[in-house]
Amino acid sequence: MAQNISPEQSGAGGSSKHNDDSLPIKDNHAVSKRLHKELMNLMMANEKGISAFPDGENIFKWVGTIAGPINTVYSSQTYRLSLDFPNSYPYAAPVVKFLTPCFHPNVDLQGAICLDILKDKWSALYDVRTILLSIQSLLGEPNNESPLNAQAAMMWNDQNEYKKYLDAFYEKHKDT
Amino acid sequence: MCDLNALWLDVLKIFPILSGEITSPLETVEDEVFENVYRHLESLGTITTLTSILSLEIESTIRNILVPKFWKHFAPTENETPKVKLDIPVNTAAFSDPNALFFTFIYAIDELYNSYECLELIKPRLLYLNKKPLSASSLENTQKTLHNALLAQLPPSFNNFVGDFYSVHFRLFTKDLTLSVNALDSEVFTDLPCAGCNFDLDQCCCQKLTEMVTATNVKLLKMGLIDRLAGSALTALIKLKIKEHINDTCVGIFDRSHLKQLETWINDVVMTWLTSIFTEWKSKDDISQENIPQSVQSFKVKLTYFMYETFAQNVISQFFSIIIDYPDSSPAIDDLKICMEKIDMRVYLTESLRSSLEARILHPGVNTMDILTGYVAAIKAIRHLDNTGVILEIVTAPIKDYLRKRNDTVRRVVTGLTEEGPTDLSEELAKGEFIKYGKDAGNNEYSNWENWEPDPFGIDPNVLELNNSKVIRSADIISMVVDIYGSKELFMVEYRNLMADRLLSQLDFNSEKEIRNLELLKIRFGESLLHSCEVMLKDVTDSKRINAHIHGDENSDESPLFDISSLIISAQFWPSFNKESLQLPVELENEFKKFTKAYESYKGNRTLNWRTVTGRVNIVIEIGDRVLEMTVPPTQAVIIYHFQHKNEWSLEELSSLIKVPPSALRRRISFWQNHGLIAEIEPGVFGLLEKETEKTQFDDVNITDADEEDLESAMASASDQREEELQVFWSYIVGMLTNLDCMPIDRIHQMLKLFASHSGGVEFTQDELKHFLQRKVREHKLLFSGGVYQLAK
Repeated sequence: MAQNISPEQSGAGGSSKHNDDSLPIKDNHAVSKRLHKELMNLMMANEKGISAFPDGENIFKWVGTIAGPINTVYSSQTYRLSLDFPNSYPYAAPVVKFLTPCFHPNVDLQGAICLDILKDKWSALYDVRTILLSIQSLLGEPNNESPLNAQAAMMWNDQNEYKKYLDAFYEKHKDT
Repeated sequence: MCDLNALWLDVLKIFPILSGEITSPLETVEDEVFENVYRHLESLGTITTLTSILSLEIESTIRNILVPKFWKHFAPTENETPKVKLDIPVNTAAFSDPNALFFTFIYAIDELYNSYECLELIKPRLLYLNKKPLSASSLENTQKTLHNALLAQLPPSFNNFVGDFYSVHFRLFTKDLTLSVNALDSEVFTDLPCAGCNFDLDQCCCQKLTEMVTATNVKLLKMGLIDRLAGSALTALIKLKIKEHINDTCVGIFDRSHLKQLETWINDVVMTWLTSIFTEWKSKDDISQENIPQSVQSFKVKLTYFMYETFAQNVISQFFSIIIDYPDSSPAIDDLKICMEKIDMRVYLTESLRSSLEARILHPGVNTMDILTGYVAAIKAIRHLDNTGVILEIVTAPIKDYLRKRNDTVRRVVTGLTEEGPTDLSEELAKGEFIKYGKDAGNNEYSNWENWEPDPFGIDPNVLELNNSKVIRSADIISMVVDIYGSKELFMVEYRNLMADRLLSQLDFNSEKEIRNLELLKIRFGESLLHSCEVMLKDVTDSKRINAHIHGDENSDESPLFDISSLIISAQFWPSFNKESLQLPVELENEFKKFTKAYESYKGNRTLNWRTVTGRVNIVIEIGDRVLEMTVPPTQAVIIYHFQHKNEWSLEELSSLIKVPPSALRRRISFWQNHGLIAEIEPGVFGLLEKETEKTQFDDVNITDADEEDLESAMASASDQREEELQVFWSYIVGMLTNLDCMPIDRIHQMLKLFASHSGGVEFTQDELKHFLQRKVREHKLLFSGGVYQLAK
């Protein structure tokens, strides 16, 4: 994937320390154009179960919504996520976090997600839509090899128990 | 003591008023009696007492006897008015009721005057008795008492009497004028009553009447009553007369100016008459300009103003007709212009014009084309009236609003612009004159300061501020019409659609005319907007060339099943087509493939996408013993083609074969049903009719006009396109609300502007958005509560 990394931004990819406002607009232009285009595609595709939209005037900060995949313990749940795009996007991956508390082996309680395509497997060919679809499928198929939430990873094998715990978990977090 | 009795008798002789006598004339009394009375009174020392008794007596007589008696004539119960006896032998019965009022008035004035004269005589006598010189102030005193007493008891109906009196006077006065105007018809008029006195001509008593009136006038003047009693009635009467005159002479005639003639009329007729009333008692020689009393002068100013006002109102009330007649009615507009300079009528004008426009053309019963014609005429006429364009803008705002609501407006305007034959719009276009707008107009403001004109007065400056109308004020008619929608783009899109339709439906179209129109429009709207139209025209000519080339080439190959003549259009520049589809039969499609190949080899790396729905097919049908030769749209041709091999098709089968939805297919089939080739054998199943007479019961049901088919546009219309845009916005709104839960309208609007305008490129006002969102709320797709919208669950 080395050819997808922009030369001047290499090494800084995936950094969450970016600050959009301080950079001149000129540099952002190509990026925001791409984001506008992605937004349009997303809106036009009108895919079931995933959606995202800029959270305010800043096109670099989005809010996404995914529905829990059907036939999994997460079905009938809806999750909010935040997507922060760096200025080097799409050469660097956006920072994606769960806003809704999510009990899942690859999601920690602060909402951080452990997903390869958001880290080392990122490619400029991915876009918001594929990111959201990946996260959606991650819900149903966790990677228990490298869990962020060890408790969830251990419970995963017993789906009935897991479901019960999940319901109790959401009952508890309902207000938040 | 008997001396005293004798003295009292003498005093009564001098002052009969003391015994309640107010008859005139007073008997002449010898000087000896005066001498005698004076001596006795002097010795008694009661002269002052007598004087005060006398003045008290005069006052009470005026107040209690004279005035009530005078007013009694004008008591509201007219029918009981005592029969008036006049020395002049006229048959009172012959007078109409108003004339009776006239005589009552004269009689009453006579009576009042006589008593007044008699009272007036008392003063000199008293003074004579006192042996003092006569002073004017004491005379005025009586007059004042009379005025006060009279006015204090003025009955409400009195003005009618005065009005009648003067209207008779006026009639008498203008009689000669009327007659001279009607001189040609005087033969006819002999049978009619005299214009002055309503009597038959042979017993006309105008002369007598005039004398009476003059006499009465003189009396009124002498009593100083004419201003007080007659002033308001006179004004009312003259106003009425002016109104009548304007109504008689000006209504419905717009093609010549009336103001001059009206002014002359006021001067010659009304003012002369007034002057004659106020100055009649003077000898004719006295009457010169300086001697005309002040009251008449002030009358003149008032009346001229009133005349302008009435005239302007008159013109304004007919302004709609004036607009319709426009270039012919320009004298009337010029007149109104003069009036407007003198009187502030703008608000009235705009109000009245707005409402009459609304009543006359802004309702569903009027054709859009007619509204447009009215709009153009209004623009021309009002611009003639007020070249700053402010009135125009205010008045035409409702028309614009209304036209915006009609969905065929754009199409009508474009048709009007390009249609054959003379329409207002095409003429305007052909004139080719246009005014640059935008920043040029702004520059003129400063560089051209010598020609600066202030904003017209009488208009709320906020309105001016609001409209910021620099552009519109200098814009020409075409721009005004185009301005209905606020943007040229929409018009150009519609123009492109119409042109595309024309090009596609008339394959042998008149390109010269189209090119001429296009050039004219380019001058007006700029090249960039019309670029695609230019490409379209070029496509058509190019297609002819390519067709010729391919046909020439193909002769070497095996001969084709049929000739194809294609119209090759550049998808980028043509408007989007509607989304109909049509699957061609394989045999036919092969021919098209061949053509595509030929094109590809000719044009290198380009290819063709066939749009099979649009076009014309020449077909020859041989069925039974009939041979039909016709030109039909492709879908119809394909339908009948499939009936070649199979006599019966169900709607569904055929629909899936040629990929036309059943409902559309049914409509297409009805074309053949009308031609008697296909019949609906049973519901949903169609069969071929071999013989001409074979018809089934279902035929009658489905007959639609085949011509309607041809009129259908192949293009998506502007409103369809707008709907599509709205659909785009809807996706954004859904996306927005899914992720951000609930939002107020201004935030939605802002977000759309920020993120969605890139795709559509068309602006979207908050009002429009509101309507759209409310529609979605009605469709239960959105919830609206607490000022925020959210998606319905």
